[in-house]
Amino acid sequence: MDTIASLKYIIPELLLTALIVVVIVMDLLLRKGKESRAGYLTLWGSLLILAYLIFSPAEIHSLFEGTVVMDPFARFFKIVAMAALVLTVWVTFYTESLRSYFRSEFWILLLIANLGIFLLVSSIDLLMIYLSFELLSLMSYILTAYLLKDPRSNEASLKYLIYGAFSSGLMLFGFTWLYGLTGTLRIDEIHSAFQNGLLDGNGLALVVSFILIIAGLGYKIAAVPFHFWSPDVYEGAPTPFAAFLSVAPKAAGFALLIRILNLVFSGEGALSSEFWKIIPETNWTLFVAILSVASMTLGNFVALQQTGIKRLLAYSSIAHAGYMLMAVVVLSQAGISAVMYYFIVYLLMNFGAFFTAIAVENKSGDDKIASFAGLGYRAPLLGLMMTLFLFSLTGLPPTAGFIGKFNIFASVIQAGNHWYWLAVVGILNSVVSLWYYARVIITMYSTNQEFDASPLIVERPLVYILIILAIPTLFLGIYWAPVYDFVLNSLHFFLPI
Amino acid sequence: MTENYGIALLYATVSVVLLAVLLQLARLLRPKEMRPETDQGRQIKYKTYECGIEIEGDSWIQFNIRFYVVALIFIIFDVEALLLFPWAVVFTDIGMIAFVEMLIFLGILALGLAYAWRKGDLAWVKQSAKNAGGRYHNAETERVL
Repeated sequence: MDTIASLKYIIPELLLTALIVVVIVMDLLLRKGKESRAGYLTLWGSLLILAYLIFSPAEIHSLFEGTVVMDPFARFFKIVAMAALVLTVWVTFYTESLRSYFRSEFWILLLIANLGIFLLVSSIDLLMIYLSFELLSLMSYILTAYLLKDPRSNEASLKYLIYGAFSSGLMLFGFTWLYGLTGTLRIDEIHSAFQNGLLDGNGLALVVSFILIIAGLGYKIAAVPFHFWSPDVYEGAPTPFAAFLSVAPKAAGFALLIRILNLVFSGEGALSSEFWKIIPETNWTLFVAILSVASMTLGNFVALQQTGIKRLLAYSSIAHAGYMLMAVVVLSQAGISAVMYYFIVYLLMNFGAFFTAIAVENKSGDDKIASFAGLGYRAPLLGLMMTLFLFSLTGLPPTAGFIGKFNIFASVIQAGNHWYWLAVVGILNSVVSLWYYARVIITMYSTNQEFDASPLIVERPLVYILIILAIPTLFLGIYWAPVYDFVLNSLHFFLPI
Repeated sequence: MTENYGIALLYATVSVVLLAVLLQLARLLRPKEMRPETDQGRQIKYKTYECGIEIEGDSWIQFNIRFYVVALIFIIFDVEALLLFPWAVVFTDIGMIAFVEMLIFLGILALGLAYAWRKGDLAWVKQSAKNAGGRYHNAETERVL
């Protein structure tokens, strides 16, 4: 489809672009001290786009001369990213640490980052992928350094920038290998080229390009050994943005990973059958499995020693990337739908944990786990909800996290007995993770410690946001069929003909 | 297949020869005394290499941050001009749509300029933060500048 005809299929992207322009114009017209109005405009605008996305038809189109596709799979990840954006924007109004930096730029940069995610999840052209990847990354670097006077924030941004530039450079190098092998930039054409036997004798080149591309994507999803940036960045970045970073770019990274693995590194008939075949020249699934095990184990064991809640959640998010990679490894419909379902659950429970941390941080001014002492008595509702989120992150029934993890383990076991060991490692890791999540809960409820017993007053809207997150976290653990149906309906890829 | 390697070999040979010739040429021009043991040699050997010419002064001086802002704004319009040339070439083939597309593009760029203007980045001599509309700069940055 040519450029002009494509326009009517990318309405969410156009709306988002229009919203960015309108917010910038509004920012220029606003007087000093009224900046939050631009934030409210961002919030309502993003809510509208989210609603539009949810009710938009699930169709498959190839747009802009085949560089971008619209498919239900991309739409699903756009919805996840947009929901993350809405929650992040909403919570910025109640974040104490952002108060002295209250400027419209925060929301504008968040919106642009989200536009990057929109493009990233739907592009199938290597250049387009790289471009949107960088759009997302550059906005993330700026937003990480948003707390100008906080040296931790500046340091985090610098680390993020150096690490990000290096790994996206590696990914780009991997792309050039693919281009060199096939002479085309479109990943669906690369797929066809491989099916037509272009790969004969070039297995090694494909392995090299696979490893380089995984380095770039692994950085985006924070999988070990490409995770080094994540704890520092989560600690230094403004907490609402750290929450956004732990879900939305990770979802985009997974969407791209699945698309590339499916189209480029899989055999014919990928995803139209229950299990995908791998290209005989390379056995890359074992490589991803090792990545998954390393992420889970390192994330969980290092999290045991953390004293800061944001660093703890950072390592927990590394571990969760490991769990989700586990379901990608098995290359089945069930695995992909488990990952997609897990992202919905992960969005709810991880944002819940981060936002509770914001509520505590507003009062204590730091992100130490020790600041949670006595929270169960100082703010009973908050303590209860945090317990729910942490149980859900561990994967205990009857929370949504249990169903999410259950789906992942089920898909791994379903894939045959050569993957049983992976499921066992995953389950053992879940047990380890219980220890550090429970440590936070014990800190909240233990009476064997000294704490400030005065009630912790939390702003009403922040409590409402947390309730909005807590209800589905509990509810999806009991009745998940409609959401799971939605996930299954979204599992339709653009496939080359 | 073999010709391809021939090209690579030619490329490598030319690179090596070119480098050798250039280094020998530079030898004619560069300062002779390079041994760090001698006084003259130490002066040259321990200096930062910039582009082959002996450096003057210290590079650790404070640049005005406004140079960067002006350079950034310049780049925006530089790139715009770059895009306008191919657009002008195919303009008659595409017609009205090209015109509208370019208008939108220019509008977004103009918004960037308006942004810089409103935030007070175009004013070379900074007025006080209060009346410049420059809430972009707080008191602390004012002092540094």
